[in-house]
Amino acid sequence: MLDLLVIGAGLTGLTAALRAAEAGLRVKVIAKGMGALYWTTGAIDLLGYVGVEERAVTNPWARMAELDAGHPYRLLGEVRIRQALTWFQQCPAVQALGYASAGDDNMLTPSPAGAWRPTYLAPAGQRAGAADDHRPMVIVGLQGMRDFYPHLIARNLNAQGQAARAAMTPWSVLSEQRDRNNTQLAEAVDDPRTQQRLLDALKLVVKTGERIGLPAILGRHAHPQALMRLQRELQTDIFEIPTLPPSTPGIRLATALRHALEAHGVRVEIGMEAIGFHAEDGVVQWVETATSARPLKHRARTFLLATGGVLGGGFFSDHTGRFWETVFDLPLTTPQDRKRWFRPRFLDPQGQPAFRGGVAVNDALQPIDAAGNVVYTNLWAAGGLLAHMDPILERSLEGVAIATGVAAVEMIRQESPLPVA
Amino acid sequence: MAPISWHSVDLSLDECIKCNICTSHCPVSAVTDLFPGPKYVGPQAQRFREGDQAQTPDHSVDYCSGCRVCNEVCPTGVKIAELNARARAAIVAKKGLPLRNRLLGRNDLIAKAGSIAPALANLAMHNPFSRLMAEKVMRIARQAPLPRWSTSGTFGDWLKRTQAQRLKSDKKVVYFHGCATMYYEPFIGKAAVMVLEHNGYEVIVPEQNCCGLPLLSNGEFEAARGYHRGNVGKLAGFGRAGLPIVGTSTSCTLTLKEEAPELLDYHDAAADELKMATYDIFEWLRELHDAGELRTDFHPLPMKLPYHAPCQQRAHRIGKPALELMALIPGLEIAESHARCCGIAGTYGYKVEKYQIAMDVGAELFNFVAAQGEDVKYTACDSETCRWQLEHGVDLPSRHPIEILAAAYGLYDLERRDVIANGK
Repeated sequence: MLDLLVIGAGLTGLTAALRAAEAGLRVKVIAKGMGALYWTTGAIDLLGYVGVEERAVTNPWARMAELDAGHPYRLLGEVRIRQALTWFQQCPAVQALGYASAGDDNMLTPSPAGAWRPTYLAPAGQRAGAADDHRPMVIVGLQGMRDFYPHLIARNLNAQGQAARAAMTPWSVLSEQRDRNNTQLAEAVDDPRTQQRLLDALKLVVKTGERIGLPAILGRHAHPQALMRLQRELQTDIFEIPTLPPSTPGIRLATALRHALEAHGVRVEIGMEAIGFHAEDGVVQWVETATSARPLKHRARTFLLATGGVLGGGFFSDHTGRFWETVFDLPLTTPQDRKRWFRPRFLDPQGQPAFRGGVAVNDALQPIDAAGNVVYTNLWAAGGLLAHMDPILERSLEGVAIATGVAAVEMIRQESPLPVA
Repeated sequence: MAPISWHSVDLSLDECIKCNICTSHCPVSAVTDLFPGPKYVGPQAQRFREGDQAQTPDHSVDYCSGCRVCNEVCPTGVKIAELNARARAAIVAKKGLPLRNRLLGRNDLIAKAGSIAPALANLAMHNPFSRLMAEKVMRIARQAPLPRWSTSGTFGDWLKRTQAQRLKSDKKVVYFHGCATMYYEPFIGKAAVMVLEHNGYEVIVPEQNCCGLPLLSNGEFEAARGYHRGNVGKLAGFGRAGLPIVGTSTSCTLTLKEEAPELLDYHDAAADELKMATYDIFEWLRELHDAGELRTDFHPLPMKLPYHAPCQQRAHRIGKPALELMALIPGLEIAESHARCCGIAGTYGYKVEKYQIAMDVGAELFNFVAAQGEDVKYTACDSETCRWQLEHGVDLPSRHPIEILAAAYGLYDLERRDVIANGK
């Protein structure tokens, strides 16, 4: 029997499964689809904003005490969060992507709209875009690329005091096919011949002393090599700016984690939508997923729910105003009156109550009911579905994912020791 | 009245959050501009198909291969492949269908006709002149990997011939062989029977139709309905009696379980009984194993075996039971393919305008196999057309996992593709 079944293949599920496999647990991951990393920037945000303050947080560690008492960071405490992030950074699986922080502080890198966005761990491909570097930027786009707007980015950066200009190169540099999305362009850059054409094109537009901002398509599989080659031959720093989804830096991270899981013999089975479960005396016995006919039972000693928030599929709602957790129908802190889900203003600085709600857990990361009782003794929850936080507003999505996913596995190891072989 | 699947298929487009994960994984749009990708052709174009819109962007939907990778990776559950199949059927209903697609959709009739004089049929079909003519006249690609008729009789002939040797038992299982096993590859059926009998089951092989998938994927829904009705009539009773119906063709079993009922809105008690009784053979054998009832007296098969779970197998959403059970065989080192699709997608790669697309799609799988080293003797894959494409693409013999299992039981010769004589 499995020691642990992880439900969800986003950053939370994949990192938790990897940590569990490293620790010797027999683990499997099931998920409905490919997982939410495909939508993300590939950077690890820890805590970018607190409350209604418009200024980005400089030192996220110094501000965690101001968060809601039930916030996952408050439940875990700084030590456990640091342990998890250190484990991630040192994890051989992601070494090639070169994640690093700027000490204890956030760094600011350009968003796809040319805003400065605060993040904590940035992959090597994004760090040369940092705001504390005073070299001018040239933001290079591709004519005909739908999801990247260099003029908008340059104009907005200039408005914020960063010298930047936009330049365009022909589409044919990357592809002879007219209709390519970001992932396909990134795959084209895996080819050294495409890299050469890109190099030649960049030499025509880059001026001495400029660092180069490009859409995040510098290779899907051969990214470190492509980045190194371009920087070496152009003799300047290059940084990627995340694009609209599908987001290649997020895909690279997902791919790296999946490869590591496969090397550990962990199966990640997708296309498996959890539709039910069975519990006896407060112990989950199995989770059922939909198949082409009969539901399939997945038995395990322990279960980690990592299905994400509203976008990830962890919650669902209907027109009657019901709002529920999709696998175990766990108690939620989300307002049950649908009129209270949203404030009148779409971009209200306080965020939306529907997104603050979620699964409340104790400091062992086990789901609890309103009275504080553990719901199922062998069930843990981590990541975007947790209550008392608004990961989009706070810019804390990836930090919460890694910190709670890894911490949950540590708790599972303690609570449910491996039988002596 | 809205049909039941109104929610399950057409309305599923409302779940689309435009994340483009499907487009990132679509093996077809990755290699050609002729198919703009599942998001555009599926949930986006679907909005223009509502009501009686004069203009729909549907011409490109014909380039969807129906591999269903989009459904597999979609994080929100949009039934993209089904949206596309229905859109194609709507075009067929309006504009008709070329003779070629009618023929490819009726592979069962061709297969049956050829089996009357298989050697002659092979000669007639597999010579450069007739392939050239088929390409010019029928637009069936001359290089495409068409199957060969069995020259040692059909699967039915073998069953009749070996009737006296077949196991009788209180434990019974029904076998759905499909057209390919009946006429082209009877050895797949033999391997299945040997494995099932070895585990103490009497194998019932009732009369059955083509599952209708070739018709569904060519957009001939009304003809497919007739086929499904036939199978429901012939097989649902076994389900009612509590007997499992196992199949070795993952696409046939998927059609019986889900594709036919869902695409055709074919929902009644009998169709449901058939659906719930049908198993991919490894799905069923895994249940046997989970219950501790699968015999594991496997002989070692010391070799490296690249295994590709075909799209139609993955569309069952049952994990990879063939992989799990083959992993029990001592000495067998399985290399799992993560290639999206072999390209052939049923009848797609046979069409002259799609042959090269299919080969370009398959390159990912062919390269995976090539990377496994020189000492690889076989590949394994559950689906017949995918095995033919794989053999065409990498020049290595391909086997069904049930052949591997039968060989590990010592009942089957993997090289000759025949039962071992003393294994009854």
